[in-house]
Amino acid sequence: MRRIIAVWVTKFLILIGRLGGKGGSSTPGHFALKICPNILKFLSGQVRDGIIAVCGTNGKTTTNNLLCTMLRAEGKKVVCNSLGANMLEGVVTAFASSADLFGRLDADFACIEIDEISAVKVFDHFIPKSMIITNLFRDQLDRYGEIDITVDYLKRAVEKAKNITLILNADDPLVAAFGKKTGNPCVFFGVGEDVGISLNETKEGRFCSFCGEELSYRFYHYSQLGDYGCGSCGFSRPEVRFEATEVNISEGLSFNVDGRRIHADYRGFYNIYNILAAYSAASHAGAELKDLQSVLGGYKPQVGRMETFFIGKPVVFNLSKNPAGFNQAISSVSGDGRSKDVVVVINDNAQDGRDISWIWDVDFERLKDVKAKTFTASGIRHCDVMVRFKYAGLENTKDTGDVLKAIEDALKTDSEVLYVLVNYTALFSTQKILKRLEGDYKSGKGGRWE
Amino acid sequence: MKLSIGHLFPELLNLYGDRGNIISLRRRMEWRGMEAEVTEYKLNDNIDFSKLDIVFLGGGSDREQLLVCKRLGGIREAFKDYVEGGGVVIAICGGYQLLGHYYKLKNELVPGLSILDIFTESGVGRLIGNAVIKADFSDVPIVGFENHGGRTYIGDHKPLGKVLFGSGNNGSDGGEGVIYKNVIGTYLHGPLFPKNPHLCDMVIKNALEKKYGKAELAPLEDEAEYKANSFIVNKYTRK
Repeated sequence: MRRIIAVWVTKFLILIGRLGGKGGSSTPGHFALKICPNILKFLSGQVRDGIIAVCGTNGKTTTNNLLCTMLRAEGKKVVCNSLGANMLEGVVTAFASSADLFGRLDADFACIEIDEISAVKVFDHFIPKSMIITNLFRDQLDRYGEIDITVDYLKRAVEKAKNITLILNADDPLVAAFGKKTGNPCVFFGVGEDVGISLNETKEGRFCSFCGEELSYRFYHYSQLGDYGCGSCGFSRPEVRFEATEVNISEGLSFNVDGRRIHADYRGFYNIYNILAAYSAASHAGAELKDLQSVLGGYKPQVGRMETFFIGKPVVFNLSKNPAGFNQAISSVSGDGRSKDVVVVINDNAQDGRDISWIWDVDFERLKDVKAKTFTASGIRHCDVMVRFKYAGLENTKDTGDVLKAIEDALKTDSEVLYVLVNYTALFSTQKILKRLEGDYKSGKGGRWE
Repeated sequence: MKLSIGHLFPELLNLYGDRGNIISLRRRMEWRGMEAEVTEYKLNDNIDFSKLDIVFLGGGSDREQLLVCKRLGGIREAFKDYVEGGGVVIAICGGYQLLGHYYKLKNELVPGLSILDIFTESGVGRLIGNAVIKADFSDVPIVGFENHGGRTYIGDHKPLGKVLFGSGNNGSDGGEGVIYKNVIGTYLHGPLFPKNPHLCDMVIKNALEKKYGKAELAPLEDEAEYKANSFIVNKYTRK
C-alpha cells in the first residue's frame, strides 16, 4: 500500500511542479523515497528487458534521450529521465511517473542518466544491465573535489555490479583505463581518425592511469580525447567495436559506423560521441536500428543544446557548464561565418558548483578573431566573466546581471545571429526568457528588434 | 623591462583555472609596455633557476602531486637557494603544500621540499568555498576560492593574510597562506590574480626590484577587476 501511496504522491507533486512551471524534477522522488524506501527497487524490478545507465561528465542527457528515442522507434516501451534530473531522487521520479496508479510499470527498457557520484547510491536499488560512460572531464569542481574522486565513486558503483557490460568511450584514456581496471565486459566506441579540430586547452588525464607516464598521442580531438598510447607500460586506446570513420563535420555530422553511413543535422563534433554511445548501447541491447536515419532526423535536441530560436534573427542557445563543453561551444561560434553577438551567462548556485574558476580554462582568447558586435557578460557572476573577457583581449564587451536586458540589447544590433551560452542553473530561466521573446516576436509585439 | 616566468609542470599542476594567474601576470606587464616571457616546464625538463624571475607552481590532484614531488626532490637545493636569494615564488594549493616538509595522508606520507618550515595533514572533509582574507600590504581584501583536504600549519611563519571569511590554512588558526621573503603560498585559487590585481602587481614589483634594483609600476585601469573583487567581499563579509 505504501508503494501505491508513494506513486500517487509522486504523480501529484509532478503535476503541482508542472503547474508551477518548474523545470527540474527531483522533489517528487524525494518524498516518494520517504514514504516507501524500496519504491525504486519495486518499480525498476518490473522492467522486462533491462535497464541501461548513462554516466559521464558531458553528453549524458543527449545520449540518454537519443538511446530512448532509438529504442522507442523499435516499438519498445521505455522509461527515461529525459529532463536530466539524474540524482537518486530524479531517477525515482522518472520511474514513479511512468507507473500506473496501482504501481504497475509496463516497460521493456529503462534508459536512466545517473550523476557519477549518485551511481553508487542508485545501484543499491537496481543493477543495470549495461552502463555507458561518455567521458570524464572536469566538472563542478567544488562538489567533487577532483576528477580522481569522481572515478573513485564510479568504481565503487561498478563494484556492486560485477556482471554489467560497460559501454565506453575508447578515445578517453580515463574512461578506457577505468573499464580495464574493473574487469567487467567492455564494449568500446570511438572516432578512429584525425578530424583536425584539436585546440590548445587544459588536458586533464593525459597521464597514464596505470603507471603515471605522460601519454603520447597519434592525434587529439579535444580535451584528452584522441588516439593515445603509453610508452612505458603499453596501455593504449583499446580495440573499438563501434568506430566512426570518414567523419565529415562541415555540414551537420556524417560518419560511417558498423557498415552504414549516418547523417545528423546537429552542430558540434561532440554529438558524434553522443550518437555513437547511444547506437552502441541500443545495438548491444539487440536493437536492429533499421529506421536510424529517421530517428536522428526526428530527434529534437533538448533544452539548451544548440537549441535555436527566432526572434527577428536566429538565436542559438547552448548549455556550457565546464571547460570541455565550453570550448566545444566556442568552436561552434567561431566556425559560424555570420556576423554575431555573444551573451555568456554564468551563475554560481549550488548545482552549478560554487567555484567558477574553470572559466579561465576556457579558451575565450579564440573569440578574439570572431569580431562579434558585442560580447555581453551576464548571470550572477557577470563581473568575473567580464574580467575573463578583458584578459582574453575581447573588444566591445559589456556586462549586466540582468539576463533579459543582456539578450534584448544584443538583439538590437544588426548582426545576423545571436549566441547565448549559459551554465546549468541559468538554463531554464534563460530558456524561458527566449521562449517569451520568441512568442512576442511571432505575435507581432517584437517589432522593436527590427 | 622584462621578466622570465617559469610555469612549473602545467600539465600536472593546473587545477582550477591556475593558468589564469599566468595570463594575469603576462597581460598586466604587457599593458605597461613590459615583456613577460613564460616558459612551461615539463616534468623532465632541466630548470635553471638563475634564469627565472618568477616561479609559478599550481595545484594538482594527489596523484599528480606525488609525481611532481619525486621530480622536485632532485632539484631541491637549487630551488632552496633561489628562495633564500629572494627569488619570487607563487605556489597555489598543491604547490603550496609541496613547499613544506610533508603532506600526511591517511595511509601515505608525501614528502615535501622543506623549502619552508611548514607541514600539512589531511583532515576530515574538504574545506571548500569562497574565501576573503586581509593582508598587511593593502586595505583591499584578497578574494578567492579554496578547495583542499589538507590542513597546513605554518609554525612561526607569517600568514599571507587573516581570514575574514572561509577556512584558511587549517580552519582553526585564522591564517591563510604564507609569505616568506618573496615566496607566497596560498590555498586561494579562483584563479588568484585576476580578481586581486593589487596582489599581482605586488608580485610583479617584487620581481622587478629583485632584477633591476628598483621599479615603479604605472597604474592601470582596474575597474572590472575590483568590481569582481568587491562582489565577493560584499557577498561574504558584509551582513
